[in-house]
Amino acid sequence: MNSSTGRKPTPRGLFGRIADHRLDYLYILPAIGVMLLVIAYPIYYTFYLSFFRTPPSLAMSDKVFNGIGNYITILTSESFHEVTINTVVWTVWSTFFATALGLGAALVLNRQFAGRGVLRGLLLIPYVISAVAASYIWRWIYHSDFGVLGAILNRLGIIDGKLNLLDNVNLVLPSLIVVNVWKEFPFAMIMILAGLQTVPDQLLKAARVDGAGAFHRFLHVTLPHLKGVMVITVLLLFVANLNHFTIPWIMTGGGPAGASDIWITQIYQIAFGRIRFGLASAYSVILFAVMVVIGYFYVRALTGNDDVRRRG
Amino acid sequence: MSRRSYNAGWSLTGWVFLILLLIFAVAPMLWMLITSFKSQFAALKYPPEFIPSNPNLEQYERLLSPKNEVGRQFLRYMANSIWVSTATTILGVAVAVPAAYAFARFRFPGRQALFFSVLFRNMFPAVVFLMPLFIMMRWMGLVNTYSSLIITYLTFGLPLSIWLLKGFYDNIPIELEQAARIDGCTRFQAFYLIVMPLSAPGIIATAIYSFITAWNEYVYALTFLNDDQKLTLPVGLQRFFTEYATNWPGLMAASFIMSVPVVVMFLILQKYFVRALTEGAVKA
Repeated sequence: MNSSTGRKPTPRGLFGRIADHRLDYLYILPAIGVMLLVIAYPIYYTFYLSFFRTPPSLAMSDKVFNGIGNYITILTSESFHEVTINTVVWTVWSTFFATALGLGAALVLNRQFAGRGVLRGLLLIPYVISAVAASYIWRWIYHSDFGVLGAILNRLGIIDGKLNLLDNVNLVLPSLIVVNVWKEFPFAMIMILAGLQTVPDQLLKAARVDGAGAFHRFLHVTLPHLKGVMVITVLLLFVANLNHFTIPWIMTGGGPAGASDIWITQIYQIAFGRIRFGLASAYSVILFAVMVVIGYFYVRALTGNDDVRRRG
Repeated sequence: MSRRSYNAGWSLTGWVFLILLLIFAVAPMLWMLITSFKSQFAALKYPPEFIPSNPNLEQYERLLSPKNEVGRQFLRYMANSIWVSTATTILGVAVAVPAAYAFARFRFPGRQALFFSVLFRNMFPAVVFLMPLFIMMRWMGLVNTYSSLIITYLTFGLPLSIWLLKGFYDNIPIELEQAARIDGCTRFQAFYLIVMPLSAPGIIATAIYSFITAWNEYVYALTFLNDDQKLTLPVGLQRFFTEYATNWPGLMAASFIMSVPVVVMFLILQKYFVRALTEGAVKA
């Protein structure tokens, strides 16, 4: 099939075929145009700028070529090590707990019971509201003087006195991860729930007839079917967390003493706080490189699914 | 342990887990609501009152009344947000529909590569593009305009919209269009009259997704807009917070008002939204 119009396929070279299909390209032109403008060009410009030392001004005219100087500055800076560890902790634990809670919720919600739809809706709300609102809600809950969490823990006798989470260098990152997990476990839940619905009922029934308990049915029938969805969910969450800006920025601004600073807040600080676009660009390229690797696996996971679909 | 009781135990664990998770998910929002009904003074009592002794709508009245400065500001931010989100949604659908259709129906060279390059955008949320885009918007004189935000938000939703809609077009039999062509429709008419209505659920799904994403977006709005009159709600909220640092009930009321449109829209159209989220990964 050549196209919907049923034009005859002409056995010509690539350019001939492109010419044959020139009208088809009109349909995707707006989409590709916008994507080029907002994505391709910025990628190119970030690379370009990352090799320049830029003066702290927004006019990019008097920049000086600096080779890989910016990269060396970042990789050898004192804070890079700590910020990288924070980034890994933030990304890995957020992804892990969001996926684990999402999986649990999806498994429970996958049965038929009254009120299932309402329950699913309630659990999804944190994902839908804005990260800004979520950040303020949790800042208020965590508040060291008037916070409700401190009050509850005091009443239960778990702690005595003030609960200081966001000003404590050891507790700040875990506290932010809780907020992030609260915000995104519903995403994992809904993805995995959709995946569960593709598990063939007959298989589960057959396993039950063969005497497999709930846990074994889950391990040997359900889980293998979920693999594809899980991989994509984890990858998407991982990237989203690696790039998550709003929660750390609004709740702590990276503080105290950089204890909740991650790559992305650091980049923003360098770019728009210190107005050092060259340096921030180099930082972005490093982050970018990490994401290209993950992106490769993402596309592979997506296309892999496609093959299964075609065969099945 | 017999299998029956083993399964029952498994099921009980599930219920307990679900209830705990529900508390975790809902309690913070409940606390936002409770706080928003308190006066500024009552919110700073310790230990806090779980049921406000003197509940009132003072905060809401202030935020939603154009008679005072705070209310005027808040309503302006809300209008800005509505405009940006609506424009993004409409443009997004207008751009995504033909592209998805082309990817589904036509076999032009480079189709696969272009399709995956569009999807690749999914991998790069927000901040990596912030700096170059900001510089670009300055060159084009778009800083402090809604256009800068609308153009940017457009690309957030596009990959997902295209992917989702392509799924719909793949499933619409090509014979329907061919029949329409035989009956004298042009290629465009066949598309507009036959295919568009059949893909309506997909269009609704992508529209909700675009709207909610645009409504909630923070980083670009924070960077591209600095004129006080032009801010969208998420950035405006932050402005409130810095100016009225101790007014937690006001902040909670503002957060609540800001959440209402997206939550209501989501609850009504949950089915479509869920579809938008999951379609990429699961094709049942």
